[in-house]
Amino acid sequence: MRSRLNLYALTFRLPIIVWQALFFIGPLIFVVAMSFFVVKNYRMVETFELESWAKMVSRDYVWSAYRYTLLMAGSAAALATLLAFPAAWFLAFRCSARTRQLVILFLIIPFFTSYLVRTFSWYTILAEAGVLNGAFGLFGLGPYKMLNTAFGTLTGYLTLVLPLVLILQTVTMANIDDRLIQAARNLGCSPARTIRTVILPAGKTGFVIAALFAFILSFGDFVAPFYLGGSNPPTMPILIIDTTKAGQQWPRAAVVAVMMMLTLFVIAFSAIMYAYRKRASR
Amino acid sequence: MTEPLVVLEKVEKRFDDFVAVTGADLTIGEGEFVAIMGPSGCGKTTTLRMLAGLDAPTSGEIRIAGKVMNAVAAHERDTPMVWQSLALFPFLNARENVEFGLKMRGVDAAERKTRAMNWLERMEIAEFAERNVETLSGGQRQRVALARALVTEPQLLLLDEPLSALDAHLVIRMQSVLTKLQRELGITFVYVTHSQSEAFAMADRVVIMSRGEIAQVGTPREVYRAPATRFVAEFVGRNNILPGKVAAAMGGSVTVETALGAFAVPGEAAVGADASIVVSADMMQVGGGENTIEATVISEEFVGSIVTAFLEAKDGTELKVQVQERVLADLDLTAGSTVTLGWATKDGHLLVEGT
Repeated sequence: MRSRLNLYALTFRLPIIVWQALFFIGPLIFVVAMSFFVVKNYRMVETFELESWAKMVSRDYVWSAYRYTLLMAGSAAALATLLAFPAAWFLAFRCSARTRQLVILFLIIPFFTSYLVRTFSWYTILAEAGVLNGAFGLFGLGPYKMLNTAFGTLTGYLTLVLPLVLILQTVTMANIDDRLIQAARNLGCSPARTIRTVILPAGKTGFVIAALFAFILSFGDFVAPFYLGGSNPPTMPILIIDTTKAGQQWPRAAVVAVMMMLTLFVIAFSAIMYAYRKRASR
Repeated sequence: MTEPLVVLEKVEKRFDDFVAVTGADLTIGEGEFVAIMGPSGCGKTTTLRMLAGLDAPTSGEIRIAGKVMNAVAAHERDTPMVWQSLALFPFLNARENVEFGLKMRGVDAAERKTRAMNWLERMEIAEFAERNVETLSGGQRQRVALARALVTEPQLLLLDEPLSALDAHLVIRMQSVLTKLQRELGITFVYVTHSQSEAFAMADRVVIMSRGEIAQVGTPREVYRAPATRFVAEFVGRNNILPGKVAAAMGGSVTVETALGAFAVPGEAAVGADASIVVSADMMQVGGGENTIEATVISEEFVGSIVTAFLEAKDGTELKVQVQERVLADLDLTAGSTVTLGWATKDGHLLVEGT
């Protein structure tokens, strides 16, 4: 009886298991394996050598790209968290449920259009003769260089992640038990202070997950640093593109990819552990 | 000035078109245990929330310790509340929950901890101080909630159906914990409940509310024996209500003409006024008395030492009589049998409608 039940359950779980194996675990293993291949006469040889690892790990430009990508993705996550918070707070606590639903719908609409298109639209705004510099010019300021800078990259990252972070934060705060906030006020906590004493700790899981998403998406994004950041300095995804273009060095690109995945695993794991950590209980 | 601790004057609260509380006049003295009681939607919780400043009165005045509170924000009052949901902070352990009010008042960490631990010890849950509140039992959480509310040593404690989520045996335990605490601390408790047994067991005075209005204020005994309105008579206890008209009045006694006959009852009322005689089920006797009614037994409800029998008079009026289980066997109360119910005139209570 028991085994039949399990078989029944397995039948329905099988597609997802196959899907995961085919499109996630398979490619993952392949990328890891590829990082040990070598390229000879522009041809990849399937072998197990540490050559690509040794080359990439010993190069300073890899590590400076790594640090720069961490910094930029971290900044994007922090900025998105800070920028979204007041808006999310307003939506969660000062708007009716109807207004909130409507705004969330509007926040989803950007995802309908290609991220690449949204990035390109920044060109006309950020360019030297673009909309922003035109506006600054009216006050005798500028022109400022905004394209091909870290500012450009961050603008792109935020275009990608801000709507998502805002949605996640809004839903998180709207779901906080209002009675906890009232109980805090009843115990002498001013409304402004409830943000620190109740809203942040009660919504911790949601805020951390939102920031984690922002980090993961920015960390792996190629479009913003390439088109708005001018690849200078390069981020890890740009390093992957450059390496594959230069002499078919797929194994070295795989090394960069594996470094990125390991980093994301560590960060995602720590973030989720932190987000779901409960009060210590003896 | 020796004004009572809490004064409500013509307090009204409207939510859009809905009148939650209206014309509420009430005074609560220092050290009193007052229970506000009524069916759901009667305005009892709104009244409590107005005392805490969580809802602002639409009109009227609320004074606490002589100070007009209408415009005082919730966090600037010292009116802690024990919530029906307890509303313990799940991200704080038991001790940190208790410390919350002290922290908001800027008490330093060392003193906070000492005072919180004192309260946890007093509530006999010190061993759970560092525990996640979600891992505590209902009774333990209840004690944390009480300690959290009392740690700032307020003059006034508000309780919103705090025992409604507990098992019956825990309710009895917590009732004695609460009454003992209230006596020891000598502070005022305002306790909202829909449960008559909780209100009567603990309160010095009960306030009965109905549809946003205060129907009666009195000691549990007064409310039980001398209901002021028909609503109170129906809501409190098991009363037999015999409506009619005053047929004669003389010297502290009136005769009320009801569908089941004319009965004398102590009281004063004008001849011709609409009036009811209220006889509590435990004052009714099977067999006879000064005033008698014939009735048919419908069913009985056995809850232990007391049995309530439900009967129907010939005109359909529902009647109730409570008898000791040990004397039940001597009475013929099987369903369908007809018996004579009676009561002593002095045990009847006159209820004049429209007062």
